[in-house]
Amino acid sequence: MRRLLVVLVLVLLPVLAFGAKQEVYVFNWTEYIDPGVIKQFEQETGIKVRYSTYDSNEAMFAKLKLVKKAGYDVAFPSTYYVERMRKLNLIQPLDKAKIPNMKHINPSLLNKPYDPGNAYSIPYMWGSSAIGVNSKYVDPKGITSWNDLWNPKYKGKVLLMDDVREVFAMSLRSMGYSGNTTDSAQIRKAYEKLLKLRPNVKVFNSDSPRQPFLNNEVVIGQIWGGEVYQANQENRDIKLIYPKEGAIFWADNMVIPGSARNVGLAYKFIDFLCRPEVAKKNCEYIGYATTNLKAQQMLDARTKNHKAVYPDDAEMKRGEFQSDVGEAIMTYEKYWEMLKTQ
Amino acid sequence: MVRSRFRNFSIGSTMLWIIIFVVVPYIFVVLFSFLERDPVTTVAWRFTLAGYGEILSPVFLKVCWYSLLLALGTTVISLLVAYPFAFFLVRLPEAYRRILLLLMIIPFWTSSLIRTYALVILFKANGIINTFLLWTGVIDEPLNLLYTQTAVFVGLVYTLLPFMVLPLYTSIHKLDWRLIDAARDLGATSRHIFFRIILPLTMPGIVAGSTMVFLPALGLFYIPDFLGGARSMLIGNFIKNQFLTTGNWPVGSAASVFLTLIMCLFLYVYFLSSRKAHTGGMGDMA
Repeated sequence: MRRLLVVLVLVLLPVLAFGAKQEVYVFNWTEYIDPGVIKQFEQETGIKVRYSTYDSNEAMFAKLKLVKKAGYDVAFPSTYYVERMRKLNLIQPLDKAKIPNMKHINPSLLNKPYDPGNAYSIPYMWGSSAIGVNSKYVDPKGITSWNDLWNPKYKGKVLLMDDVREVFAMSLRSMGYSGNTTDSAQIRKAYEKLLKLRPNVKVFNSDSPRQPFLNNEVVIGQIWGGEVYQANQENRDIKLIYPKEGAIFWADNMVIPGSARNVGLAYKFIDFLCRPEVAKKNCEYIGYATTNLKAQQMLDARTKNHKAVYPDDAEMKRGEFQSDVGEAIMTYEKYWEMLKTQ
Repeated sequence: MVRSRFRNFSIGSTMLWIIIFVVVPYIFVVLFSFLERDPVTTVAWRFTLAGYGEILSPVFLKVCWYSLLLALGTTVISLLVAYPFAFFLVRLPEAYRRILLLLMIIPFWTSSLIRTYALVILFKANGIINTFLLWTGVIDEPLNLLYTQTAVFVGLVYTLLPFMVLPLYTSIHKLDWRLIDAARDLGATSRHIFFRIILPLTMPGIVAGSTMVFLPALGLFYIPDFLGGARSMLIGNFIKNQFLTTGNWPVGSAASVFLTLIMCLFLYVYFLSSRKAHTGGMGDMA
């Protein structure tokens, strides 16, 4: 019995010792923050950061849905998940007065259909998916549209994302529809068009689409803007082209879940991440585009002018952010399964 | 007394581990497979067979068929490669045998994911094999190696081969060579000796090895994804998409239960054949 007590005390001691300290529970994508930034926050505020990671929106969503109280204080869902979580009351409205540094966020990234007025979310990192080409094999001047991927001369040379929404958004936009459509007739048409693309497709990859480009396995296809920037450090021939139908944009956003333990600390942490010097550090560490205009201006000339990472305003207007499609996702998935079993 | 307490503890803790992390989650999977999908609460507590109805679709049957073919192909290739290897391994002097067995096991110290990436480096268009062949002038254009069916089989066989070799090695090792000498004395041809004596006696190893290759091959989907270019959907991909993309847990659960049933069927066949090997025929004489 006494031994049991000793064991109990030993187990509980660290918990008791740290219990007095303030803690903020952060739930973020893997490799999505500069560890130095966390340390800096802890030193400045004395608040301990309890950091956990996830590798997909779905995993994050499933976990947040299960936790009813005393959950995470800050999470980073993508656009369409912000919308979904907002509809299900899983995240709470933000008090902008507590985030003074929000003024540095790029206005052209705010007030998008997935979260009007940014009532619930503040964009953290963002980027595009557009057409990647290897200019050694494909003349970039000849490529202007998503429809160029269907050109028979690229048989077995095309890369598509391994992501149902990205692939369908591309096909939908190539026909002039919205990539966020919920109309099953349009989704079916997109599927029928994708069937014709299949002979051209060599690989589906959305984890690291630059690799098949760098390996000379494909010469044209979908790619993330940030991946082109990373590819260029090895090979300058990989280029990004914004199609005339518009690129597909994504953003990951800071939100406060409804089940947060400590909302006050969550605001402190979010405001800290919106500080330009901190945003710059994160952006340099992660390699994606920062949403922080001030931080962007502080970057070196090559990075901040790299069009693949920071598209100009015209491209921004032409493109579209992914938003939630609700129950239509079942239709998308049905056609995706059919496409993949052909 | 102390020994029996230790025994109870070790059995008990293992059982507890299995109950918490295998049995209980699996009960949930079975339970969810009979529930209704709900967009807000994930599942609604209403009994339905809709999950099973949905996996009877032609798409899922295609997915299953392709997964089974892939696993079966991997098993057959592994067997054809491993059997002669295990056979010659047994006949080597002990010192060499130990080294070769060790070499067989060493790759296990590295994660299979990393070893799959290593295969990508070998196979890619500007990879080691193509660069070498281009340099020697054997080819002018890089060969299409990566993202092919062959690459998928190479990856699966490479990863699972030791599971085939080790059981085969054990059962060939136990083979009584005097039986073969006797058969030869009595005038049996080499073909007869192999098919009538060696093959039946090593059947337990063949069945064990095949089971140990076939079952994991059925579930491994990252190797076909990386080396095959993710162009086809396997059972593993299908289940993952049901849970993560559409949030359709009942269908994902039903597909998982279906996969488990297939695996149980194969384990049952294994159980039957291993019992037969122990109770009757030549097995006892060896």
